[in-house]
Amino acid sequence: MTTLADPRTGGRRWTDLDDFQVFIDGGGMVEPGDDMPEEYRDEVFRFIEFHANSELMGGLTERDWIPHAPGLRLKQVFLAKTQDEIGHAHLLYMVAADMGVKTRDEMLEDLFSGRSRFHNVFHYQAVTWADQVAIAFLVDAAAFASQRAVFAECSYGPYKRILKRIVSEEGFHMRHGEEMLLRLATGTDVQREMFQAALDRWWWPAVQLFGPDSPPGRADPLLRWKIKSERNENLRAAYVQKYVPLLHGYGFRVPDDDLHQDDDGRWVAGPIDWEPLKATMRQGGPDSARRIATAAANWADTAWVRDALTRHETREAHEVAS
Amino acid sequence: MTATTADVGQTVSDTVCPARLTEVWEALRAVDDPEYPGVSIVDLGLVESVEVAADGSSATVGLIPTFSGCPALAMIADDVRRAVVSLSDVERCDVQWLDSPVWTTDRMSAIARAELAAGYTVVLRGADGSLRCPICGSRAVSDQSLAGPTRCRSVAWCDDCRNPVEVMRS
Repeated sequence: MTTLADPRTGGRRWTDLDDFQVFIDGGGMVEPGDDMPEEYRDEVFRFIEFHANSELMGGLTERDWIPHAPGLRLKQVFLAKTQDEIGHAHLLYMVAADMGVKTRDEMLEDLFSGRSRFHNVFHYQAVTWADQVAIAFLVDAAAFASQRAVFAECSYGPYKRILKRIVSEEGFHMRHGEEMLLRLATGTDVQREMFQAALDRWWWPAVQLFGPDSPPGRADPLLRWKIKSERNENLRAAYVQKYVPLLHGYGFRVPDDDLHQDDDGRWVAGPIDWEPLKATMRQGGPDSARRIATAAANWADTAWVRDALTRHETREAHEVAS
Repeated sequence: MTATTADVGQTVSDTVCPARLTEVWEALRAVDDPEYPGVSIVDLGLVESVEVAADGSSATVGLIPTFSGCPALAMIADDVRRAVVSLSDVERCDVQWLDSPVWTTDRMSAIARAELAAGYTVVLRGADGSLRCPICGSRAVSDQSLAGPTRCRSVAWCDDCRNPVEVMRS
């Protein structure tokens, strides 16, 4: 299995970016000890940092809803999902920090001060429980599709290895999303209206999670260096094709007046105005400031734990030395 | 469910149906853990008991959870029911979550251990508590956090190949 190739490669070097491209095109996997091109290192690092930030912000959002989830079982599900996302963030921050671009503390400081980015969907407000259901059903599925496409051909070894577990766990979250949606869809009129209202809020953020069309040809370094394996517009089209019939099947209306079927019967979304998304990613959205403040407060509130651990380690080291 | 001596003399035979028992175990072997596609719940040691009715028309499966707070329990039970009922002439499958015995990593088969190491970079601690990197084989693996992404895993780091390693715990 490629994910288990021995990563101790002894620090391979490439003469230039063309040489490196030949290696990548041949299915080569880059490992931490390799003397990788700076441009590649920066792209991979930025991508993993974005993913880590998104897992952390997503986990904290799910945590907000543990007390509000209806019934003990769904509280248990949300508790577990929170642990999952935070755990994923931890693994991703470990791999990112190892790349030597920023330390973990620097990444968190940049996140809390609004200098670094995370997924668009975590900038909006979840108004009712149905929003959480819509997020679990629609947004988790979009995140799953996008991560699976990264995993498929990811050229950075440590990232590909943790993606294997992350993708399995996100697939498992999707089943929870389906279960929660089924409860609302087969519930009272009020429950169905609640979900429709949430769907009206979350459909476009979910579709936009894939991002604008990828630059033409091999212009996108993420694709050229196989950090991800599929173009944004293809992932988005496949998502629309899959989720429109599902939502229609449950009797819900997809909030897109220009949604239509092409000659082959495939569902095609109407034109997307990317300006609001770009503005959100640049300046933040309606719920960004509150979410970032919550995450920062959480980090500050747990400082004593990290402090105690550091002191304990220092003392142990001191005792060993003396 | 199992035919017992109390059933002797009733219309159904008091012998269990051995062929059906084998079939049910085979069906369970094909049920994967939702968090580890490709790894069977039988190999993970989640199946404690299987009983079939004397006429083979129903089965009762006793499962034990890795952790009682595991969010996959309902899914696993659903998957088990579906797999067993899909056998021809099996009409019903009852799934019970048992309080004992308590699951430990000792219940995992060699197959599950190999699959988790190769497919998921997840290992078990050695009897002496030591860790070995499932990626490069190094012993330079240090614990990072007792809490991993799931209840049943903690997080470590391999200093040699510089990869996170997750550790099954019980």
